[in-house]
Amino acid sequence: MSEQKRTPENDGRDFADAAWSVPAYLMSGILVWGGFGWLLSHWTGVYAFIPIGVVLGVGLAAYLVYLKHGR
Amino acid sequence: MITPTLLLAGISLAPAEPGGFHAPGPEIFNFPPLWAGAPAWLTKPTLLAMLSVVILIVVMWGAFANPKLVPRGLQNVGEIGYMFVRDQVARPFLGKDTDRFMPLLVSIFFLVLLWNVMGVIPIIQFPVASHIAFPIVLAATIYVMRIYLGIKYQGPIGYFKNMMFPPGVPKPVYILLAPIELLSNLILAPFTHAVRLFANMFAGHMILAFFSLVGFYFLFENFGLLGAPLGILGTLVTIAMTGLEIFIQYLQAFLFAMLAAMYIGQSLHAEH
Repeated sequence: MSEQKRTPENDGRDFADAAWSVPAYLMSGILVWGGFGWLLSHWTGVYAFIPIGVVLGVGLAAYLVYLKHGR
Repeated sequence: MITPTLLLAGISLAPAEPGGFHAPGPEIFNFPPLWAGAPAWLTKPTLLAMLSVVILIVVMWGAFANPKLVPRGLQNVGEIGYMFVRDQVARPFLGKDTDRFMPLLVSIFFLVLLWNVMGVIPIIQFPVASHIAFPIVLAATIYVMRIYLGIKYQGPIGYFKNMMFPPGVPKPVYILLAPIELLSNLILAPFTHAVRLFANMFAGHMILAFFSLVGFYFLFENFGLLGAPLGILGTLVTIAMTGLEIFIQYLQAFLFAMLAAMYIGQSLHAEH
């Protein structure tokens, strides 16, 4: 966003981009790090890795949305 | 068979009572070949899909084959549709590249709109996109095109680098973020692109089928003290839902074309 000109056109585009990519990011966050947590729990037998992975994934996805659209 | 829908309707039927009310299930989406001996793929949905293509070609041909400077008749309608797609769908995402992609986006928008509207046209009454194969083909086309354009305009390395590594993050954090970006952009985005259209049309068709069956069953087959109000209610809700469905059909066609424009726009320029 910083290098891009802030025209009304770009603002509209950025807004719509954010709105439509948020669900995909949140789902990917859960799938990637929740899945990694599931693998860890499968290997180690510690089930706590699954919820930790899911929460970490959601948090990272939210951070990513902030990085791309919030600044 | 006691289903939640029957409980909703306030009745419980003994199992396997013949002639009782049966809520429509996913079987209403299965069609046999059009006539005995027809090829297995030639069913109502494929026929409607092809019919929509023919209608679209005929209408667009009529509107734009012989364009006048002062538009009249069909050309007027066609230009309004074209301008809607250009200003609302394409321009916010494509900017100065809009004109190059207009033929694609106009075709996608109006084809999906026709497919969807088939769901409320009397007698036809089947939204083509409620068979997931149809939206998948369109979404896959856009997906291939967007990766091709991304590699062409940002370079094979630059495209994936821009996709996976948003600027302004300490390097170790990329290990955590890059897989999310990759999954989100390359797998979930095209998946949701197709599923969003499919699921809306599928659910809409189920709702319409259910309420019209409630109306039909209680007015014509089980008319009585309890049946009559239920039948009238079912009919009224069917009418209201048809209105809502027309709105959703338009909205989903708009969204499908808009997301296509968004994906193409993201491939032409690196994000931020």
